[in-house]
Amino acid sequence: MTTSRPACLDWLQMLTGICLVVFMYLHALFLASIILGPGAFNSLADFFEKYYLAQKGGPAIALVFLVHFFLAARKIPLSSREQKKFLSAAKMFRHRDTWLWMVQVVSAVVVLLLGAIHMWVVLTDLPITAEKSAARIQTGYWLVFYMLLLPMVELHVGIGWYRLGIKWGFIKSAARHRAKRAEYYLTTFFILLGLIILVRFLLLSS
Amino acid sequence: MSRKLKYSIFRYNPVDPDSKPGMQEFFLQETENLNLFVALNILREVQDPSIQFDFCCRAGICGACGMVINGRPGLACRTKTADLPDQVSLLPLPGFRLVGDLSVDTGSWFRAMNEKIRSWVHTDKEFDPQEQEVCMDNRVAEKIYELDRCIECGCCIAACATAQMRVDFLGAVAMNRIARFMIDPRDKRGHKDYFEVVGTDQGIFGCMGLLGCQDVCPKNIPLQDQLAYVRRKMGWQALRRLMPGQA
Repeated sequence: MTTSRPACLDWLQMLTGICLVVFMYLHALFLASIILGPGAFNSLADFFEKYYLAQKGGPAIALVFLVHFFLAARKIPLSSREQKKFLSAAKMFRHRDTWLWMVQVVSAVVVLLLGAIHMWVVLTDLPITAEKSAARIQTGYWLVFYMLLLPMVELHVGIGWYRLGIKWGFIKSAARHRAKRAEYYLTTFFILLGLIILVRFLLLSS
Repeated sequence: MSRKLKYSIFRYNPVDPDSKPGMQEFFLQETENLNLFVALNILREVQDPSIQFDFCCRAGICGACGMVINGRPGLACRTKTADLPDQVSLLPLPGFRLVGDLSVDTGSWFRAMNEKIRSWVHTDKEFDPQEQEVCMDNRVAEKIYELDRCIECGCCIAACATAQMRVDFLGAVAMNRIARFMIDPRDKRGHKDYFEVVGTDQGIFGCMGLLGCQDVCPKNIPLQDQLAYVRRKMGWQALRRLMPGQA
């Protein structure tokens, strides 16, 4: 008898994926409060800490993040034979959605590494304040770090929800091109928003 | 002034020990309404009788002339040279056993796939030739017919990087077949039975949603929607199996 394992893992991959997409977009919007000023940012951060959303929610998201990585990693070709096959198929075909999957794999690895570092640094130094964040971004290579993490996260999240919609049928074939356009716009919007946030932190005097 | 098209054709004869895989160039003047299938026939008749490629119906019905045209799997008979640039590269469909040059054996692959997913109507009903045929609801019949238009050309498998990477992946054509039986009231199989054949990593849960299949299907079968339909049905079936008292 066929086991339910592959199906259940696929469900979990989708559900953890949705959680992370929603979290990442909200995360960016909350961060955007810095545009209004450190006061707005700090009171939002206070609110999250008062209700233990940062203390408990942070590690919970970290767990979802890890689970999602392990589930999705099942699809990444590990043997060099499979990698070669995928690459030669992608090169021959020059097909956008096939290449977007490669972007997802590369961004996944970068996000796993840099995202874990980011979570560690932030969650081991609570409470979150505008001053501490600004100080971090103004020190050493942290700006370069975030300049790399930002587009990788946004690409992964954007392609992620598009692909999820395709796979489970939330996006029908008739709506595919519109959904893809929406994905490009949304990804561009969040990358630009992230850049504005970074510049704002960079210019914040401590 | 018509164009002179350059064809780079993959040449290799696996049964000839002296044959080495490589591309061979041919030139042919373009004529009005020329399609790739006719061009290949002219090349074979006039320039090189040893070029191997398959064809049968020349009208997009048999699915035999599937090949990779400028990097894209498609049917030679449905490809007009007017839609192609001055240089045309032709490769055999990947993922199938090479017979020679552009000819591949899709038959063995499709037979194995159809056997694996048990691609026929399962029924206990004795056939009575005297009995009047049972009428099928027209909407259902049309839905089935839409999916039954598949000609098994193999383009969806050649265009699927997942199928190329994982040889045991059944591909869009198999999911489309299963979707066809799912909506057929004559098939007594339930979702439980379908789950046995496609509720796996070789079946629907191996699909990564790359959609190469949807974008190349020469018959424009809505494969994206069929794959999602099978995934949802099999997903729910897996959850039902987890309920207590369910096998």
